[in-house]
Amino acid sequence: MTTITASTTAPARARKLVGAGRRQWIGLIYVAPAVALVMVFFVIPLGMTAWMSLHNWPLMGEHAFVGLDNYGAILRDTRFWNALKFTGYYTVVVTIAIFAVAFPLAIFIEKPRPLTNLYRTFFFMPAVVGFASASLLWSWLLNVDSGLFSPAAYDLGLIDRKFNLLATFQPAFWSIIAMVVWKVAGFTMIILMTGLQSIPQDLQEAAVIDGAGPFARFRAITLPLMRRTLALALILSVAGSILAFDQFYIILRGGPRNQTLTAVYWIFNQSFVSFKLGYGAALSMVLLVILVALSLIQLWLLRKPEGLD
Amino acid sequence: MRNVIAKLALAAAVLGGGLGAAAADTANIWVRADGSNFMPRIVDAYNKAHKDQIKLDIIPNAEIIPKYGAAAAGGTAPDALSLDLIYTPSFAAAGQLEDITDWAKSLPYFASLSPAHVKTGTYKDHIYGLPFSADASVLIWNKKLFKQAGLDPEKGPANWAEIAADAEKVNALGGNIKGFYFSGNCGGCNIFTFTPLIWASGGDILSEDGSKATLDSPQLRGAIDLYRSMVKKDLVPAGAQTDTGANFFAAFAAGNIGISPSGAFAIGALNTQYPNVDYGVTFLPGKDGGWSSFAGGDNFVVTKGTKKLAVVKEFLDFAYSLEGQTILAKYGSLPVRGDIAKDALKDLDPRYQVAAEAMAKGKTPYSVVFNDLINSANGPWTQMINEVFFGDDVDGAIANAQETMQSIIDQAPQK
Repeated sequence: MTTITASTTAPARARKLVGAGRRQWIGLIYVAPAVALVMVFFVIPLGMTAWMSLHNWPLMGEHAFVGLDNYGAILRDTRFWNALKFTGYYTVVVTIAIFAVAFPLAIFIEKPRPLTNLYRTFFFMPAVVGFASASLLWSWLLNVDSGLFSPAAYDLGLIDRKFNLLATFQPAFWSIIAMVVWKVAGFTMIILMTGLQSIPQDLQEAAVIDGAGPFARFRAITLPLMRRTLALALILSVAGSILAFDQFYIILRGGPRNQTLTAVYWIFNQSFVSFKLGYGAALSMVLLVILVALSLIQLWLLRKPEGLD
Repeated sequence: MRNVIAKLALAAAVLGGGLGAAAADTANIWVRADGSNFMPRIVDAYNKAHKDQIKLDIIPNAEIIPKYGAAAAGGTAPDALSLDLIYTPSFAAAGQLEDITDWAKSLPYFASLSPAHVKTGTYKDHIYGLPFSADASVLIWNKKLFKQAGLDPEKGPANWAEIAADAEKVNALGGNIKGFYFSGNCGGCNIFTFTPLIWASGGDILSEDGSKATLDSPQLRGAIDLYRSMVKKDLVPAGAQTDTGANFFAAFAAGNIGISPSGAFAIGALNTQYPNVDYGVTFLPGKDGGWSSFAGGDNFVVTKGTKKLAVVKEFLDFAYSLEGQTILAKYGSLPVRGDIAKDALKDLDPRYQVAAEAMAKGKTPYSVVFNDLINSANGPWTQMINEVFFGDDVDGAIANAQETMQSIIDQAPQK
């Protein structure tokens, strides 16, 4: 009896496998273009970077294999660690600032009300400007002699001597923060808004009937149900800030007095000012590891709690 | 499919063969954007008179070095390029350039070529670069404002005390008129216009061979005090503190600045673009008189292994002729051949004579890490000048820069 069942099921299983195998092959063909793109534009360059990081690789002339020497040099490179420290500080400040502006905006534009679409467009507009062009625009706005802020304040009689916003660290740093918030908050707002809109209305209504106040509803319903959206917005913001370069390069040139050199700026300097491509590649690998680790930590912190779906 | 590929290959072969078989040779030359005024003119003149041709590409100043490096690595470097002369030692050290010693020394006028260029073009007793274009730093003043301020409009300042006094008088005119301008956050601008003040007073910032940083000198300290005192008296626009070079020329050209250190290039640029600004040109003086100048400009270098060496040499020979030197002078570069400089400048603005004299006795620092030390916006020199002109801790800034510069020199791969 057992043998009979075995002999009848076996061919059926085999047929199934053939079908599944064929479907898998078709699937592979479908993803092949994407895989090819990822290979050509990500995996191979990444491998190349890792390979270069093991060499003394000048911009011109011969390169030589040096093993892990570049990584050893990074440990002693205090200016890189200072740049990394500044990048961390900037990331924390700018991420808090972006969320502090974007969350109220998202709540404001989430509900349909008169002119909502106008407001959405209005707040989102700066996000479509490239970082480089936005930096050039602000670099003019912030100019002390021919810009807007300082000359306008002077002409209005608010200050009795033109104040150079970019000359000292604090005003220069906060000017950059203002510019980045202006540019990025609209995008974060849209992400947060989609999260807000995905929360079922009846949950909120039930909570109102149970007597929950606005703050309790925000804490117990809105925030937990936005977990995934928050994770996405947070990771995008943190990754973007750690890779910050354009605004510091264009507006401040790393100044005043090299106090706003970010990690990517330092990599750029090593590679294209000092022409040490191998060392720049090693720095990039270190930054990559840091970024991946940070993203994993964030995903873990914002993971789905056990038992919830 | 295979058929198509075969056809393509055939087409490529025909195209390639067609180009190679052309009667005249064409060499490709790059120049940085600073040369965009005179370079196309001299190339045009050459192409009209010769069978072999030059194809010119103009590259933005900041991009020419990385772009050339990438092109050299990919085997698509131009046959030659007109290179900021201070980079010649590091390019030669990287083994990127053709040794042209024998050819250079065979030129009958070799001895009268700009000495500053030939010095930076020489690496370990071999010549890798020859002078192409030249620019010397000078001091310019606004004659109209000098007159308004009751100063002699025909007499520029001849020592540091006169600079400060004249600037103060012009500044007293008030309104948006300021006495003095310099780009306070631009290393390249200040090595060009600030160090001559030190040289003219007998000091220097690097040893002759570039192996020692010598920032700790009374001459540097004195020149710093001159600038600081003018900043303190509010003779300098507030924007100078953060100017990374964008206003180096534009500030004076607007006509509200009394005195500004500048370069010979300003003569051509002011004459053609701002004919209404009436200005004078004089030397950058030392503390108690005397003068010096930074001899800048481009060296002409040849990519190692190029097959177009003959064309490139013919072109350079043409640039050194009286016709070539006159074209260069007319469109913004000083002549680089001392023996015919007077003839080349004969029909031009007499103010060029001052600049040409400055060029002839000009000085150029020699270093294989010049970019790291001086020009980099985040290098020790740029950081120091900004701190000492506007900050509070002058001694600390100098000591810090001295230490950083020396460590960069010591870590350089080759000397």
